[in-house]
Amino acid sequence: MPSLKVLQSRFVTSAFGEVNAAFTSCIEGGGKLSAAEAVGVYRNGYPARLSEALGETFEACWRMLGDEGFLEACQAYARKVPSTSHNLSDYGSSFPEFLHKRFGREAPFIRDLAVLEWEYKELFHEGSNKALTASALSVAVKENSVLKFGPAIRLLPSKHRVHHLWRRDRNDDTPLRRKDWEGGEITLLYKGGGTPVFSRVIAAPEASAIRSLMKGRQLGRALAAAKGLTAAAARNLFSFISSSGLVTGVS
Amino acid sequence: MRKKENSKPAEVGVGLRPVHFPRLLERPRTPVRWFEAISENYMDSRGRPLEVLTKIRADFPVALHGVSLSIGGVEGPRPGYLKSLKALIDRVQPFLVTDHLCFTGAHKKNIHDLLPLPYTKEAVRTVVSNVSKVQDVLGRTIGLENVSSYLTYKDSEMREEQFLVEIARKSGCKILLDVNNVYVSATNHGFKAEEYLDAIPNELIAQLHLGGYSDMGTFLFDTHSRAPTDPVWELYRRMIRRIPNVPVLIEWDEAVPDWAGLENEAKKAIRIAREDYAVA
Repeated sequence: MPSLKVLQSRFVTSAFGEVNAAFTSCIEGGGKLSAAEAVGVYRNGYPARLSEALGETFEACWRMLGDEGFLEACQAYARKVPSTSHNLSDYGSSFPEFLHKRFGREAPFIRDLAVLEWEYKELFHEGSNKALTASALSVAVKENSVLKFGPAIRLLPSKHRVHHLWRRDRNDDTPLRRKDWEGGEITLLYKGGGTPVFSRVIAAPEASAIRSLMKGRQLGRALAAAKGLTAAAARNLFSFISSSGLVTGVS
Repeated sequence: MRKKENSKPAEVGVGLRPVHFPRLLERPRTPVRWFEAISENYMDSRGRPLEVLTKIRADFPVALHGVSLSIGGVEGPRPGYLKSLKALIDRVQPFLVTDHLCFTGAHKKNIHDLLPLPYTKEAVRTVVSNVSKVQDVLGRTIGLENVSSYLTYKDSEMREEQFLVEIARKSGCKILLDVNNVYVSATNHGFKAEEYLDAIPNELIAQLHLGGYSDMGTFLFDTHSRAPTDPVWELYRRMIRRIPNVPVLIEWDEAVPDWAGLENEAKKAIRIAREDYAVA
């Protein structure tokens, strides 16, 4: 009998990578299973569980790629990239790049879509913003104010238009055409005072202003420095920021 | 009818699953008395799952049940994991904290499965040492659950139930006795489930689990995808006669039924507990 350390190492190797013959020789299968078949129960269960986790996180990518392509990719990824976290939900941070390498030719948007889904998942588990109310904010804020944003906000620039693909009706199986994804966009993901995650596509000047504000730039300067941001757009942006629960403090 | 002195019938709980969140937030009347939450699903989340758990906790006792502690792992408990678990415990104040008597990975790879240990003295020493570290960090006694298994080690030095009891006695931890898992492993490995259950002293048992398995033709698979089967209910009846006031949990993880369907299984567990309580 090998040491417990060696035994565990061989078991994990057999479940994740190549079946270890030395491990198989020191076990007996349960039921009518041979030793190799018993190892197979654990070996098959591993990619199945990780695929299920990937399927939950990258649901829209699954819809776009179809069952066969997506699940094959999940299995291959599970065999290549080990899970190192106790939390299955953490698995898949490099899956967007993996999907791009596998499907980038026929679905150039797939990496951007996967990144959007990953960031949505991250934000889902983020705490809500302890937001100032719109009325409190309007009283407190001045042109030279610095706004403090909560943790539940992400700005995601992408080379392809994926927000509408992400939000697409699950039953809509109309084939995609190039015009459906061509053109970049910037998606804002955020939480307000509650736990739901909201999203909206915003224009580049608005994104620039928000980015500056998040870096701690004074309100007036951030809005003035955003190229292409008209006065009306600036008012609308401030109105949105005030009412959406993004801001947790003013200094 | 006569009631056992100093006892009360078992309180039955169910596993807290996201599919039931909307119904539970309506605060329905229910005979379910407590909930078990999977620790890892809440340890790293500050979003909706934790919000719902906090609301449930305001109305019900909660037990925390982990799947990745890897108490049998030779690499020992991971400080980061314990820190997150401790923070969740401080927040939820569970009446019981449990995990599985198994290991879940090696070399920093997490297989996310309950890998069985060999029943050896070396494995006992490893688990006892790990339990001691975990209980020190958490500042409380934990419970360990027997797992279903599909293989055994040729060089095991004792029976599974002896392994379980020895660890509990030496470490001071409690046993979460999964009746379904005992039945699955007994069928897979050809031992008598009744003898296994009878070998576990009452005072070591902190909780019972009931779940459903799948018959794969060549072995029984612990899928938690259906209601407990008749043989498992019979084993439960055997246990509840011995320890009528132990908390009991209905576990269901795959193909989870609606709330009413899950509640029906809980009602069955309650009915059996009360019948035996009344005639004892």
